[in-house]
Parts: sequence; structure tokens; C-alpha cells
Amino acid sequence: MKKFLPPLIPFVLVTLALEWMVRSGFVPSYLIPAPSAVLRALIDSRDELAAAMAKTSAAAVIGFALSTLTGVAIAVLLSSSRAIQRAFYPYAVFFQTVPIIAIAPLLVIWFGYGMKTVIASAFIVSIFPVIANTLTGLLSTDPALRDLFRLYGASATVTLVKLRFPAALPQILTGLRVASGLAVIGAIVGEFIGGQGLGSVVDVARTQQRVDKVFAAVLLASALGLALFGLINLISAVTLRRWHASEQVS
Amino acid sequence: MNRRTFLGASAALLAACGKPAKIRLALNWKPDPQFGGFYAAPYDKHGLDVEILPGGAGTPTVQMIGAGSAEFGIVSADELVVGRSRGNDVVALFAVFQNCPQGIMAHASRHLESIGDVLKEGTLAIQRGLPYARILEKKYGFDHVKVVPSPGGDISAFLRDEKFAQQCFVMSEPLQAKHAGVDVTVFPVADIGYNPYTTVLATSGAQLKSNPDQAKAMVAAVREGWQVYLNDPAPTNAKMHDLNPSMEAAAFAEVAEAQKPYIEAAELGSMTAERWTTLIGQLAELGDIPQAIPAQDCFRNL
Amino acid sequence: MDLSIDAGEFLAVLGPSGCGKSTLLRMIARLSATSGGRIVTEPEQFQTAFVFQDAHLLPWRTVLDNAALPLELMGSGQEARYAKARAALAQVGLAEAEARYPAQLSGGMRMRVSLARALVTEPRLLLMDEPFAALDEITRFHLEVQLRDLWQRRGMTVIFVTHSISEAAFLANRAVVLARRGGKIRLDRAIDLPWERTNDLRSDPRLGHEMKLLMGAMEEE
Repeated sequence: MKKFLPPLIPFVLVTLALEWMVRSGFVPSYLIPAPSAVLRALIDSRDELAAAMAKTSAAAVIGFALSTLTGVAIAVLLSSSRAIQRAFYPYAVFFQTVPIIAIAPLLVIWFGYGMKTVIASAFIVSIFPVIANTLTGLLSTDPALRDLFRLYGASATVTLVKLRFPAALPQILTGLRVASGLAVIGAIVGEFIGGQGLGSVVDVARTQQRVDKVFAAVLLASALGLALFGLINLISAVTLRRWHASEQVS
Repeated sequence: MNRRTFLGASAALLAACGKPAKIRLALNWKPDPQFGGFYAAPYDKHGLDVEILPGGAGTPTVQMIGAGSAEFGIVSADELVVGRSRGNDVVALFAVFQNCPQGIMAHASRHLESIGDVLKEGTLAIQRGLPYARILEKKYGFDHVKVVPSPGGDISAFLRDEKFAQQCFVMSEPLQAKHAGVDVTVFPVADIGYNPYTTVLATSGAQLKSNPDQAKAMVAAVREGWQVYLNDPAPTNAKMHDLNPSMEAAAFAEVAEAQKPYIEAAELGSMTAERWTTLIGQLAELGDIPQAIPAQDCFRNL
Repeated sequence: MDLSIDAGEFLAVLGPSGCGKSTLLRMIARLSATSGGRIVTEPEQFQTAFVFQDAHLLPWRTVLDNAALPLELMGSGQEARYAKARAALAQVGLAEAEARYPAQLSGGMRMRVSLARALVTEPRLLLMDEPFAALDEITRFHLEVQLRDLWQRRGMTVIFVTHSISEAAFLANRAVVLARRGGKIRLDRAIDLPWERTNDLRSDPRLGHEMKLLMGAMEEE
């Protein structure tokens, strides 16, 4: 509980300040909703929001899982040879630079209107940090340890599984932390085009000038991103606890 | 000098020398024939220095007017009413489309008879948040049709799938489809009795109060601009095509012609309280506004 | 250079930085290729172990798993390799630390794990590249005594690269000093000191005498 107190205080202060600013008329309520209005929207539309959140969560989690598996696999492949890396890494960078808003309509052509497009969008937006961080981790193995493994006749596969991969774990988890939030963003963008989940709630509410509902949906999307991020932190704490500086108690 | 006189004098002084260097007119879509008159308007002649800000999907012109990031903006009548009900003092000055050119288009090969038929099967691409979408849902139900977001002027999904119907401006997307080789049936939204003024020039109540002459000049310039555009759209079309190359020059000409019946009126751009009252009633019934608001607050005929 | 080493020797290799002593070690370990010339051994293949300047343990594994690593890589079963690893850890005095992780150990303890790891395959040849250079003096003194003792009991060949003249003199029964450049041997000398080397020897004038000779060779240029 003590850990949650410091970040909670600014949140409470800002919320109170905002409430006062809207109520006193200082900030127009049609531009920024009072926190109490957002709360009311959360309660009034809870069924709709809950259903939407379930859909967005499913798509973000599946998209994130796919980008984790695929990203790590691609990075392992890229790390296996300089030639392969030089030839194919620039294409991986493509995933980083492509504007998802522009290709989302293409996704609809290939995957139709629905969950598949949303998952694809989450996947595309979140895969690059996984590839980049995993690759860096795999390429940063201590050369002396690599020598050690060579000395005792370990094959490339054994070296990958027993040395390079565990050594890369902290870096991989860093990549996953970044990717988790991006997967939520990707899902929301996909939903603007594909028409379901929290993204759709935001789109429709925006058209109706229901800023309170927009903020309610955005809040839920942020909560989803935070939950995924927290999950990765938990995994990191459990797996790295014994041996990595980042998880050592000072 | 008492306080009131002092304030009045200060306001006048500010109005005289505090006039913004540029007046910003925010559009709610990319430059196309529906804005022709605004691009053709002789603002200089009326003493105005106007900067037109093109928009796109989701440009929040109602909020921009309220927040002061644009002095004038293009809105639709229904979103203006909703904005007012939320405390945003926006006022309509000039309605380009006297009748709403929104509609639903479907493949002619389906031989559909009415708007209700569209909702019996297949897919409908529509902005669910729009009032007429919800009127349709209330009247016919969306149980048998798959509703997806509107692709915003892009008809590629429509062309690929015979059972795909989508919202449109009756003089725009249907012509595009015809050029692509697909005949369409268009069902105007007005057929279900929903007919708000569309492509409406609006400003904030505060702006109107502090600078009534500027608003008058703006409306006069715009009215002249539309007269010019209706007579000879070609030079303005060329200007807009430069700003929006994604739309072909030939299409500009075609749409400019097709939209004329929706615009022409005895006094271009003028509005009636009756039309506003009807609209307000419909929106109150839908639940988009908590209760009816006074129609005369929504517009001024300048 | 032409260097011949007998089985069972404890050879110290000295030389200024950049003289190639680490490279020589890597070539003997067949980790680096020779640029001209050959490494010839009799027999051709035998078990070699390498100890680096840093312990280079796998931080995600326990001390026991680290010590057992070479056997694991060579295909040994868990029971067999754990038994041998425990024996090796006992030899370096770390029997009770087997369940701990490297992050919980001191520098000296980590180096001892590294040593145990090197010994677990019962190597015929032990190559060491300045293994104690990063440790404090007292720890170094104790580890040197322990290493010498292990060498005496096991009868393996040790090639020990070092910067430190006192360390070379204390540990080895033969020392070679390399020139700054060109791989030439400046001095090749049998160390004239008692078989038993304890910390008492450190204040013995005979040690100082050996060191003076080695230093002379080092300073020649």
C-alpha cells in the first residue's frame, strides 16, 4: 500500500483542482469534463463500457502476446548471423515507422471489420520494441562467457538457450514494458477503423460531443495499459529478483 | 465616469484596435465544392482578412469556436444544437445547404425500395454517433445489418462488396461509384423526416456580441461568394483542387453542378425558426439533448 | 617465440601490457587462431580449463549450477555433475555457499567459484589470465596459497599470466618474461624457492631475490 501512496497524491490533487475549475466556470465543461461527470459517465454507461473494455483487452492482450512471440523469434533469427541482420533489420524498422492510421484501412481490407483487424493493429504497433530490445540483449552477451561455452564444446543452440537468452532477459523485459502500452494504443486505433471496443466508444461519444464519456473510455484504456505494464513488472520482479541489479533491494 | 461607461468605453477601444490580425474560418472537411462559396468570397472587399483552415475527419469545429481557436467555423445544425445544450454558445449565421444532402447509398443491383430495406441484411458503414444513425436504429433496428464505422469518403470497401452500404453526401460518393462502374441507389436522410441545415457558417455568441459589424461583413462576403460560385465554379474549383489534390478536377466540376439544388434559395443561406424548432424537437426526443432549447438563440439572419 | 612446457609445471608468464601474454593463453586454449606457427600438444586432445580476470559467473544460476556448468555442457547427468561440483566447491572452501547466487557473494568468493568451475572437469591443463588482479591483497594472498595447494595435490599443468612479479615468484616453479613487442622471451627461469609455499614465505628474502631477477628482465628495453 505504501508504494501506491506517492503517485496517488498528485492524482487526487489534480482531480480536485480540475473539479473546482470546471464547477467555477473557469474551464468550460464542453471542452474538459469535470471529474465528477466522468465518474457519472463511468457508472451510467458501465455495461457498455465493461463490454467494450473486455473486447479491447482481449485484442490488446492477444496482439501483445503475438508480438512478443514473433518479435523474440525474429530477434533470435537476426542475431544468428551478421549477414541476415544486415539484410533484414531495416525491414523490422519499418514496423516502427509505418503510420498505423494510414495502413489501418488496408488492415480492414485484409482482415475485415472486427477483432482480427484490431489484433493486427495492436501487433503491428507493438512488435518493434520487442525486436529491437531482444536483439540488443542477444548481441550483448559477455564475450568471455561465450568463450567459456566454446571451450567446453557447446553448440550454437545450447549457447543460445543456456547463455544468450537468459542473459538477454532484462533487456527483453524492457522491450515488453514499452510494447505493452503500445499494444493498447494499437488496439484503440484499430477499433476506430474496425468499429468495436473502447475505440469505438470514443469515436461515437466524440461525435455526440459527450466529452465525459470520451474521458471515461480513455481512462479505462489507460487502466488497461497500466495493468499490462504492471504484469510485465511483476514478471520482471519474479524472474530477475535473485540476480539482476534492477530488481535488487537497495 | 461611472463603472459601466468606463467598461463600455474600454470594450469599444479594445474592439477598435484589438481586432485580430487574421480571422480564422475552420472547415470541417478538406476543401471541396461544399465550401466553394467560402473560397470564392471577396473578403477584402468587405474589409476582412480571412484565413481558411481546412479540416478533415473529426475536426472539432464546434469546440474550436467555443474555445476561441477559430472566430468562425463550419458546423452542422444538429451538432450546433447539441453544443449549445452543453453550454457552448455557438450561433449559426449562414446555411449553405438548405436541405440536408446526407444519405445512404447501396448497390443498385440490390433493387432496394426504401431506407429500411438497406437495414435488412449486409453491412452498413455509418457514423453511429450521428443523430440520424440513431433515428434509423430506433425506427428499423440494426439487428439484421452489420454496422461498421464510416470510411470517410473512401468507397473501396463499397465497391468490393455488393451487400455493403454506406453513408454519403448524395452528390459526392454516388458519382464516384458511378465512375468506378457501380450504379447506386441513394436514399436521402431527409426521406425519414430528418433535415437539418448542413455546412453552416457559425460563430461564438461572444464574438457576435463584441464584433457585430464583423459578423455582418462576413455573412455579406460569404453570400456574395456563393453567388459567384454558383454562377461560375471553375476558377474556385481550380484553387480548391490545388489545396486538395486527392480529389480530381473533373469531380470538382461534377459535384459543384450536382449540389446546386440543395443550395439555391431566394436568399442564399438564410434560415427559419421553424426548421430549427423541428430539429430541436427531434434531438430532444432522441435524448441527445436533455430538453428543448430556444430556437431563436441558435441562429441569426444577418 | 619458441616455448616448450612440461606436464605438471606451474608456469608464470610475465610481461608489460600489450606484450601478447593474454593472446598466447587464448591461442593455447584454441580460442584464437595462431598467425603463424603452431601449438603442438602431446597428447593432442585433453581437458583444458580457463579462468578469466573476472569470475564471469552466470548470475541467474546458483553457485552449484555455475560450478557444474562445464560438465553440463559436456553432457553429464545432473547427479554426476552435482557430485563433482560439490567436491570442487569443497576444495575451494565454498561448500556451504552452494545454494547462493553470485550477486550475494564477495569478489573473492566469486573468483573461488570460478576456480571450482575450472577444476570440476579435472583438467590436465589450467590456463589463468590474471585471475586475482581485481581482488584485494589479503584475499589474493589466501587464494594464491590455495591455488598452489590445489596444483600440488592434483598434478595438473598451470599456465598463469600475471602482471605481478611477487605473484609470479610466489606461485610458480618456472617463470617466463615476454618482451614489450615481438613475442620474444627475455627471461626463462626456474624459480628457486621451496616446494611448500605459505604466507610466511612472503617475508623471506629468497622471494625478494627472485623478484629482483624478474624485475630486471621486465625493465630491460
